[in-house]
Amino acid sequence: MSTLKEILTRRPVAATIRLTVPAGGARPAPPVGPALGQYRLNLMAFCKDFNARTQKYKPDTPMAVVITAFKDNTFEFTVRSPSVTWYLKKAAGLEKGSGRPGHVTASSLTLKHVYEIAKVKQQDPYCQYMPLESICKSIIGTANSMGIKVQKEFD
Amino acid sequence: MSLVINSLRSHFFKHLLCTSTAAAAASTATALIFGHRTRGLVGQSRFSDSVFFFSERYKLLSQLASKTATFSTSRSSSSLETLPTDSYTSPYLSVTIRCQKNVADMLSEALLCFGANSTSIDEHDDSEVGDEICISSIFSVSQDVKESISLAVDSIGLKEIPSYDVVMHDHTDWIKESFHPVEVIEGIWIVPEWRKPPDLQATNIILNPGLAFGTGDHPTTKLCLMLLYDVIKGGEVFLDYGTGSGILAIAAIKFGAAFSAGLDIDPQAITAAQHNAALNNIQPEKLFLSLVPSTGSATFTHEIVSKPTDRQHLNDKGVFTETEKFHVVIANILLNPLLDLADQIVSHAKPGATVGLSGIISEQVPRIIQRYSPFLEDIKVSKMDDWACLAGFKKINLG
Repeated sequence: MSTLKEILTRRPVAATIRLTVPAGGARPAPPVGPALGQYRLNLMAFCKDFNARTQKYKPDTPMAVVITAFKDNTFEFTVRSPSVTWYLKKAAGLEKGSGRPGHVTASSLTLKHVYEIAKVKQQDPYCQYMPLESICKSIIGTANSMGIKVQKEFD
Repeated sequence: MSLVINSLRSHFFKHLLCTSTAAAAASTATALIFGHRTRGLVGQSRFSDSVFFFSERYKLLSQLASKTATFSTSRSSSSLETLPTDSYTSPYLSVTIRCQKNVADMLSEALLCFGANSTSIDEHDDSEVGDEICISSIFSVSQDVKESISLAVDSIGLKEIPSYDVVMHDHTDWIKESFHPVEVIEGIWIVPEWRKPPDLQATNIILNPGLAFGTGDHPTTKLCLMLLYDVIKGGEVFLDYGTGSGILAIAAIKFGAAFSAGLDIDPQAITAAQHNAALNNIQPEKLFLSLVPSTGSATFTHEIVSKPTDRQHLNDKGVFTETEKFHVVIANILLNPLLDLADQIVSHAKPGATVGLSGIISEQVPRIIQRYSPFLEDIKVSKMDDWACLAGFKKINLG
């Protein structure tokens, strides 16, 4: 929660921009260019900042970025890790989820995969205070809705 | 069959490499739902509810997933191929959608899943009357806008498609908007090509970065320029690894270096740097620019290096092999390239030479120090705004 001082000195917001950018691969070209350019934001600064902060991810994983542009042409941004379904599809080697989840199983994974995905997700700003167990449970829920079965170990 | 799948999965974490954005498209919608539900579930155990909710939502989305795979591939090909070659004049579609305020956030996330390159929402003033808000979204030219919008609207449960307009724009040079003359150190100005220098007496470096990195604005560029200013006394030979717009190489010549070399993996950077060298009236004998292959590629294109004087630096195969020739080496790139190329960067420096490393944020400094301490001694860290620059001297006797 913001402190009172932060609320009082908050800069006026011009716009909220959402983008998907590959990690370490931000360039002034589209899609970044036009989206940020129209609010006169410093493109190079964003690209360098974003690339530096996403160095810890494998190159070209699609990261969701939310940029808050302020009226004085400055900006702040938060980077979210790729979605759970993207990780699950990568782990299972699938292109897309099952056509009939619940009835047709597309693939199966072990608890070890779920645990690894949960560890990555916990680094997200929104999930840092959640117990790892509940993150795992919700990943299993997502997997079930995609038609991916989660087993304790491989047979 | 299962053995194959097992071996694939056991290598899962090593193979999180370049992926198609088509896969990400249909899945970011559930990330939104995942995010929303988990906020409400802290400290409670209502997971049965959430799983049910999930399966409802995802049934709808997975039916649409097959459609997204087809039209999202066009986006993935366009977004991965438009860097870095032809971005100057690539057109794009700008779509403005009017919708209710309370669904604006969800609709913009859904649009991102179903093919939009980006969405932006203007912040509304509280004094505005009415429930409507505008989302402006950017699509690439090959997208079917109507299809994407109707799928996005469907996925969040709106009954009808909101009204929208589509306009085609040409990619303008966005850099021009935000590049102003800046005084880095007292008496040194970086001036864009299209503006007049504010102080004609000072040392002015004139730049047109194009699509390359390096406008002089960024804290790392400033830190490197300050380092250069301290180190260059006159007559040195300088190497800029990852030259971008050529700003550091040109600055070195202006500060008095005898010779500068600039290397980069991006052909656009080399062309921009050559252009900037000409703008600053630098003789070609003083500045050498070359493309280096990015890791993994065996072939080396040296069409860019066309001047005969430059051939002396390349061996028969056209590879830059000047080792232990430079008094000052600066690499202002990113953490991972710095770690991978440590041996190469240091090999170009003479023993006792100054090596500068930047483009890293403060929390990445320990890793760089750890990687470079076998080669460098007396490492000093300077910081500006959470960005850091390391400077050290190459060890005289390397084992």
